[in-house]
Amino acid sequence: MTRTQQLLRERTAVRIRAARPDLADRHDLATPDGLLDAHRHIAQEAGAADDGQILAAVVVRDVDLARWVRDTCVFALGVPPEDAAAWRASFTRTVFLAGNPDHLRDRFVFAHLADDGSAAWTAPGPAAGTTTLRRLLKLFDAPAEVPPAPARHLTVPGEPPPGRVPVTRGLHLATAGCTVAEALVHLNHVIAEAVLDGLIAPGDRLTLHRVPRINPLPGHAVRVRAVPDPRLPGRLRAAAALTDGD
Amino acid sequence: MTALATEPAAPGAATGAARRVLLAPITITPSKPLTPSHLKGLLWTDVMHRATQSLAHVTHRSSHTTYHPTEQTLGFWEFLDRTEGDTDYGDLTEEDIGALYVAFRAAARPSARDLRPYAEAAEHGWVHPASTRVLTLWSGHYARLGLHDPGLLRYQPPGLGLDAALDRLAGLGMCLDQRAVGGPVFLDLTRHGLPLRQLVTADGRPNYLACALRELLPLAPGFDEIVLLYDTELDSDHQQLARVLAELGPSVRRVPIGRVPIDGRIRSARQGGWRDVHAGALLDAAAGHDPAVVRLGMRLYFIAVLGPGQQQSFRPELLAQSLKRAERLLESAGQPQPEPLTDRLARHRKDHTYVDPYRLTSGLLGRRRAAPGLDLLTSVYL
Repeated sequence: MTRTQQLLRERTAVRIRAARPDLADRHDLATPDGLLDAHRHIAQEAGAADDGQILAAVVVRDVDLARWVRDTCVFALGVPPEDAAAWRASFTRTVFLAGNPDHLRDRFVFAHLADDGSAAWTAPGPAAGTTTLRRLLKLFDAPAEVPPAPARHLTVPGEPPPGRVPVTRGLHLATAGCTVAEALVHLNHVIAEAVLDGLIAPGDRLTLHRVPRINPLPGHAVRVRAVPDPRLPGRLRAAAALTDGD
Repeated sequence: MTALATEPAAPGAATGAARRVLLAPITITPSKPLTPSHLKGLLWTDVMHRATQSLAHVTHRSSHTTYHPTEQTLGFWEFLDRTEGDTDYGDLTEEDIGALYVAFRAAARPSARDLRPYAEAAEHGWVHPASTRVLTLWSGHYARLGLHDPGLLRYQPPGLGLDAALDRLAGLGMCLDQRAVGGPVFLDLTRHGLPLRQLVTADGRPNYLACALRELLPLAPGFDEIVLLYDTELDSDHQQLARVLAELGPSVRRVPIGRVPIDGRIRSARQGGWRDVHAGALLDAAAGHDPAVVRLGMRLYFIAVLGPGQQQSFRPELLAQSLKRAERLLESAGQPQPEPLTDRLARHRKDHTYVDPYRLTSGLLGRRRAAPGLDLLTSVYL
């Protein structure tokens, strides 16, 4: 096994253990099969039509990835700690919907709205709370591949928390074969979990890198989202990662 | 857009003589025989057209050119060329072509790429010979039924191209266009609590609603009233369409017309099942009657007897009774009527300008009714 495969597996096991200690007890996350079983378990839970499942909904009108990253940080920073734990336990499950927030703000309560109206976020909560919104809209369908682009820098809005010195981090997205819709899913999980764990705070600088493949995995990666590699069965590949420094 | 808004005529203008009314019925894909459901819609529209014509300026817009770009038409054409090759469609009957259509609907969907040459040709007025054949046969049925021909075989392009129509919709704040990320285009009336409705698929295929908007968006500001006539099951789409058009000034009326079940089942034309009950067969079966009797009898049956709902199955014996009824009505008609025709027609309206075909036609029936004036029959029914 390559060193990167080993790392991706370890990181994935850490992620599962952090969100759901119960799954870590049931499956041996140190083995590839145990990891795979845990993955299946999670996918099954997410697929079940359970009104009590905790999720956030994002209404997307159009996408500028760097701007969207910034807004996702603001949204996640605003999630109150009592909601954060439940959302974390559902692996920061998020539903992306096609819609125009300007047409919806009178009827629905959003926890965060992008300044330019390009997207809006509902607070994480039981799925039943967003049933009406989800019926009115359609799932966000964005099959275009993420275009390659030079690195973009952005600063997380807001005052740094007292006593915390802002840091610089790199946010990496693997673009080869990655659609815009998938990019939102990958980046959303990495950002949301990093924010909830205090790795991203107001005042931090982020650099968004869009590269065909994240390889090798930077040694200074603090968060990694790994997914099964569609072309190499049995292997994981890094879909997105957050690193120390840019 | 305020410059486009038209003030509704004062309610005092009872006859509505100056009102401009657009009748916009849904068109039928020219790929099969006309079923009883189709006939019902056509006769309903025709009576509305001719009755309202005495009271207002009526435009009856029903362009096949507008709806050729839908997938069900383009896909059928591509399927025929791929599977049938150089068939002489001029020798085929509607039922032959309809059987091919049923086969097409059962086959796998063609790709957007395969449809592109057909889409481009249709924009320039090209029609597949199978559809030309069907429309030619329909023209014959229209003539026998005394239906106004809105230009079945004419090239009548919509006033706007797809992009221009979507731009106009965006100007109204009613378009969600996600083509930049490879996604679909939606009609967006979520502001009014109506669900997003797809207009163009992610791979670029417009649906019939997108085609309707290309045609009706530029026409709408020129009318005081627009009447949308359509199958009941398309009601939610037409609620949305009405909402868009009303934004441009006219008052918009929706007239859903129930389908006609065959043996208790409402069938889609894609399933076939039109044997012996399609327009050509019904006309042939009625060939022993005087043409005026056929025209009036068909209207009595499909409008007054079946009504706006869809509870009653098609019953040939009731159609035969309607033909007899028509014969008697024509024999007894003709006495001079004290009331002018326009007043007799205007009674069958509510707060709208169009004349309600059901109220008008069922008014001809009933045992104790006075015989109708010949003027009414000739101007509306024959």
